[in-house]
Amino acid sequence: MSTPMRRGEYGRSPISGREPAQLADVLERVLDKGIVIAGDIQINLLDIELLTIKLRLLVASADKAREMGIDWWEGDPFLKRGKENGAIEDRIKRLERAAGIDGGSRSEPDG
Amino acid sequence: MARAPNPTADGRALSERALYVYGVVPQTTPAELFEEVPGVDPSERVMLVNEGELAAVASGVSLDEFGEGPIESNLRDPSWLAEKARAHDRVLATAVGRTTIVPFRFGAIYRSEEQIRDLLRERTDLSATLGRLEGAVEFGVKAFVDRAVLRARLAAVGGPAGEPASTGRAYMQRRQLERRLDEDLARFEADCAHDSHERLSASAQQGHANTLQQPEGEDESRRMILNGAYLVRTDADRGFREALSALEREYADDGVQFDLTGPWPPYNFVADEERS
Repeated sequence: MSTPMRRGEYGRSPISGREPAQLADVLERVLDKGIVIAGDIQINLLDIELLTIKLRLLVASADKAREMGIDWWEGDPFLKRGKENGAIEDRIKRLERAAGIDGGSRSEPDG
Repeated sequence: MARAPNPTADGRALSERALYVYGVVPQTTPAELFEEVPGVDPSERVMLVNEGELAAVASGVSLDEFGEGPIESNLRDPSWLAEKARAHDRVLATAVGRTTIVPFRFGAIYRSEEQIRDLLRERTDLSATLGRLEGAVEFGVKAFVDRAVLRARLAAVGGPAGEPASTGRAYMQRRQLERRLDEDLARFEADCAHDSHERLSASAQQGHANTLQQPEGEDESRRMILNGAYLVRTDADRGFREALSALEREYADDGVQFDLTGPWPPYNFVADEERS
């Protein structure tokens, strides 16, 4: 997944482009902050809230995420509801990529 | 509003479309700003829906994915949500520092451009919010403490940690010292977080201390003590960075580390007051 964040064709902004953000920071802002707009499609914000908490715990530590692994997904009735089996590993990989965990090494820069 | 029934019994009909709205920018914002960034549906272009002085940042989505039924199950899929939340942020982040943004929370979905224009007409508060946020971006600052370092430092200040516990009395004394050290540690962390937040807020337009992301008792070498968000004018961000550098210098020996993130769209500075 590429990050099309650093682009200069519209002139340099007074503030330089930012580092790829950590998933926990993105979730906190996109799911918890921002103006709540009641669109045409009703979204159950409680669902989002519960899931945000779980996601936050997961992404708080890359090691923890690996530790929890498949058991974490499979053992959770809330997350399991309405899901077909078999694609779980694939989902974890996608989430790991999104979280910047990527295989065995942590790719998020520290500090 | 009820979902339109699927017209065909077998196979899928042409999927119905809707528009996902990321936030609002001034009408003067060039649409090209969003030309290259993928939307929450990566196959869709991000566009602007103009109404008066405002423009909504939006892109097409399929109701197969974002309709009332599908989205309910998709919301329970962590990887789906993580991916879409990132996409939402990426779209808005593209315009940070280039225009003023009022970010919406995840999941504002409309059936048509006309309905988005209705929203822009009805929410008269959005213009005032844009005015308030003009020229400002959000920075995140998190402070972490290495408790081993801090503990050693506090113990050094408080005198030797005690004799070997050869007698019951020495043991009791040592326990007492340890307890005091724990209290000192907690107090120092709270004071440091408070001091840091006050000083960062003072060098920003506004500050907001969020709930710590780390659960209690995790990772003693990198314990989060502050999770702050700060609204900073882009022409005054030097002062903010200087305030942060000063904190870094002052607290380095105590094992405190500061992480700066951003610039972000001002997610933390639009809620509550604008809610109708």
